[in-house]
Amino acid sequence: MIRVPLRPLAHILAVRSSGGNPDDIEKQNVNQRYITYTDLTQKRAERRLFFVGIMFLISFVLVCARMTVLASSEVSSVLTEVSPSNLISQRSNILDRNGNILATNLPTFALYARPQVMIRPQLAVKKLIKIFPDLNAKKMLTDFTGQKTFLWVKDKLSPEQRQAVHEIGEPGLMYGPREMRLYPNGRFASHVLGGTRFNNQSATNADMVGSAGVEATFNNYLSDRADEGKALQLSLDLSVQAAVENILGGSMNIMRAKGATSIVLDVITGEIITMVSLPDFDPNNRQIEFAGDDANNNPLFNRAVQGVYELGSTYKVFTVAKALDLGLVDPETEIDVFRKTNILGTAVRDDHYKVPKLSVTDILTESSNVGTATLAAKIGKNNQISMLKDLGLFHPTEVELIEANGITPLKPKKWIDSSTVTISYGYGLSMSPLHLAVAYATLINGGYKVIPTILKQDNKDLGRRVISAETSNQLRKILRSVVQRGTATLGNVEGYEVGGKTGTANKQKVGARGYDNDRVVSTFVSFFPVKSPRYVLLVSFDEPSYRGGKEKNERSAGWTAVPVAAEIIKRIAPLLNLRPSSETDQVVQLGR
Amino acid sequence: MSYLEQNIKRTPYGIVKFLHLNWAVLILIFAISSVGFLMLYSVAGGSLAPWAEPQLKRFVAGICMLLFIAMIPIWFWKNVSGLIYFISIMLLIGVDFFGTTGMGAQRWLDLGFIRLQPSELTKITTVLFLAAYYDWLDITKVSKPIWVLIPVIIILIPVSLIFNQPDLGTALLVLCGGGGLMLLAGVHWGYFLGIIMSLASGAVAIFYTRDTGLAILRDYQYRRIDTFLNPSSDPMGAGYHIGQSKIALGSGGVNGRGFMQGTQSQLNFLPEKHTDFIFTTLAEEFGFIGGLSVLAMYNLLILFCIVSALKNKDRFSSLVIMGIAFTFFLYFAPNMAMVMGFAPIVGVPLPLISYGGSSMLVLLGAFGLMQSAHVHRVR
Repeated sequence: MIRVPLRPLAHILAVRSSGGNPDDIEKQNVNQRYITYTDLTQKRAERRLFFVGIMFLISFVLVCARMTVLASSEVSSVLTEVSPSNLISQRSNILDRNGNILATNLPTFALYARPQVMIRPQLAVKKLIKIFPDLNAKKMLTDFTGQKTFLWVKDKLSPEQRQAVHEIGEPGLMYGPREMRLYPNGRFASHVLGGTRFNNQSATNADMVGSAGVEATFNNYLSDRADEGKALQLSLDLSVQAAVENILGGSMNIMRAKGATSIVLDVITGEIITMVSLPDFDPNNRQIEFAGDDANNNPLFNRAVQGVYELGSTYKVFTVAKALDLGLVDPETEIDVFRKTNILGTAVRDDHYKVPKLSVTDILTESSNVGTATLAAKIGKNNQISMLKDLGLFHPTEVELIEANGITPLKPKKWIDSSTVTISYGYGLSMSPLHLAVAYATLINGGYKVIPTILKQDNKDLGRRVISAETSNQLRKILRSVVQRGTATLGNVEGYEVGGKTGTANKQKVGARGYDNDRVVSTFVSFFPVKSPRYVLLVSFDEPSYRGGKEKNERSAGWTAVPVAAEIIKRIAPLLNLRPSSETDQVVQLGR
Repeated sequence: MSYLEQNIKRTPYGIVKFLHLNWAVLILIFAISSVGFLMLYSVAGGSLAPWAEPQLKRFVAGICMLLFIAMIPIWFWKNVSGLIYFISIMLLIGVDFFGTTGMGAQRWLDLGFIRLQPSELTKITTVLFLAAYYDWLDITKVSKPIWVLIPVIIILIPVSLIFNQPDLGTALLVLCGGGGLMLLAGVHWGYFLGIIMSLASGAVAIFYTRDTGLAILRDYQYRRIDTFLNPSSDPMGAGYHIGQSKIALGSGGVNGRGFMQGTQSQLNFLPEKHTDFIFTTLAEEFGFIGGLSVLAMYNLLILFCIVSALKNKDRFSSLVIMGIAFTFFLYFAPNMAMVMGFAPIVGVPLPLISYGGSSMLVLLGAFGLMQSAHVHRVR
């Protein structure tokens, strides 16, 4: 800026010469400068107003543009949830052989707290307790008011509970999306399915891992994201499973048994159609507090594959089968039997029949210990062992259940003569019910080795031959006569030819040597139809006691397991697409 | 002796003053507030309780106050501006001792009949006092360092007090409001440039001291900044607010879902739906057009203020009007920015629409001052 001198000498001189007051000029000049400066600042103020106005305008335009973008954007979902399915890997479904869902997933939420952002922790605790009475108020309050930054409050929330928590309005309570495993059929097939639990929980995710059953066995397959959507199809038939479970549960109550188990097995493919173990549990809620001292009675315990029992007279078939297969006897061969005798240095006795000789068939129909032991002595220890080994009774079954791993039948450490004798009629060798069912399937399907499986099989090659087809045929006839006129006459089902063998084994005394007469395991292994067997059905009760209109309680399999098996067959045979067949002579009559 | 006082005889007097009110501004205030009542009625699920009715009562009280203030000559307000400023500072200090804690910060002063938020009051008193200062100050001295330091101190006293509550958002707004007034008063560019530069370096310092013993901000404030920079990183936490409001804005579309039909807000997905996030409800229920209309009303209000300020020949009046307009802008701009995901969530209500007593009363009082300046202008 060029400074204008306030007192230009020329001006002053000019004023003085004209007689004026030079101070006036100065005053005038000051005034002039002030006005100029005010104008300047006024202009500056207006410029600034303009600038601020532009700023307003820019922000207005900016907000408008943003609103246009937002308003025109497609909203894929009006719902506001962070969709859980996007955040979590899908665990595959589990289906039965007909495609019914046994296990699936349900989106849900877990509740967690971040105490550092909580506003009213005391109030939150008070309201949470109202929603979840099982939470510990004291502990929660110390957690919420303490130094923790993060803690889990509840694993799974129902939609109602979630809404209730929402209404507390506490910003420190937050939800982690979860995938919940849902077993829509409840308790049915609980032991096969097992259950799941959460692992590695984080706010937005949690791994689900199988904790038992096929969920555990096939955990990698089920949780593999590459297999997403590809379900695991089991060999189970849900409707058959449900029927068996209902009948078995009801009869277990009537007989006041401690437990019961049942297996339906396809004799050709080895597919397990049903597997029941009672008492059972709800896989949707595996947390069971079991107070008893015997782990065998825990509901989580799968008796069908985990329990090993001496299954009594059902073993007699193995000895008879080997004797027939070796050609040492035929079904009609008469064997000397005595009420009480000594075989291979072991005392053996029978109480319930009074004839001196029995045919091989009748040894099984009457379930003669002496007769079986005599046959065992005939075939010898080595043949007996090779037979049992061929039937898979010295190794764990190969079924794909994690519980079956390492369940090896208990056999004597040293196989002495008395072992040969007692094992022939059912004592001294403990095995799981599944072992027994598989051995029977092998014996009656024509003699081919069966390997049990829980997965649906489309085509399965026959196993290697264990006994001849002829022997298998003979055995079917013998076992049919057990039902027709032997220990299992209550097992007759109209329209379906059933064969089978009973076994009533005394349990070992608790804390003492020897056997207890009052506590038994009653088993009936049956198969149907006899002419071309399709299924093996095993029914077994642990300590049943049935008063069938008699003086004393009946515990033997003939009175407990057999009628239940008959009831089951009556119910499930139509479900398995088996048509009732008329007796042959009736057909002939009709033809006349 | 200002220009105005010399020409005092040319200002209206008595009941005639009513005719000289700035009716455009007054009508806009009524319109915006009515939108607020509608929205509060809607978010309560179609009920006057708990929000619409108290808000209505406060509005009536506020309008009475506005008219009362407007009838008092503006030079009276200039003369007591120092006293008012002093009282508001005392109230701020009072909050530290007698304040009620709300949302983790001490902000409220319970006076029995009203829960006062002195930080809101300070926004206006600071502007008023600064305007009086610049009116008094010889215009040639405006940019002299010593005369710049005084207003800076006037601004920094309330700012530091509010920052201590702690209420970062309001502190920043008071700072901006005061700074804006200094800009309008004609302080040299260089100062603002310097301040912006030092703020930028301050921001850098804030981030460099993070996680060290010297950390300047609170931990939650750092986290808010993080979330602002990347909201989707925490969709269930702080980012939730922004995500939800974006969905609401998007789902409203052009015409909106209709009055009381907003899912986001009706279904309780939105936090603070009746205060800080009320614009979201509005945008969802009345759509793009509704949101734009409200925005237009806000901007018209400011436009009328600017026109009034330009017409006013008195420096104090002009500065007060512009200061109030600027403060008003500072109310709604951050709220809009926050709701639309431009800015972090600092908890600023939408002026005249959000539920809340302090901000509405203070704003209506401020517009009373603006009206007073307008009525008592020289013609």
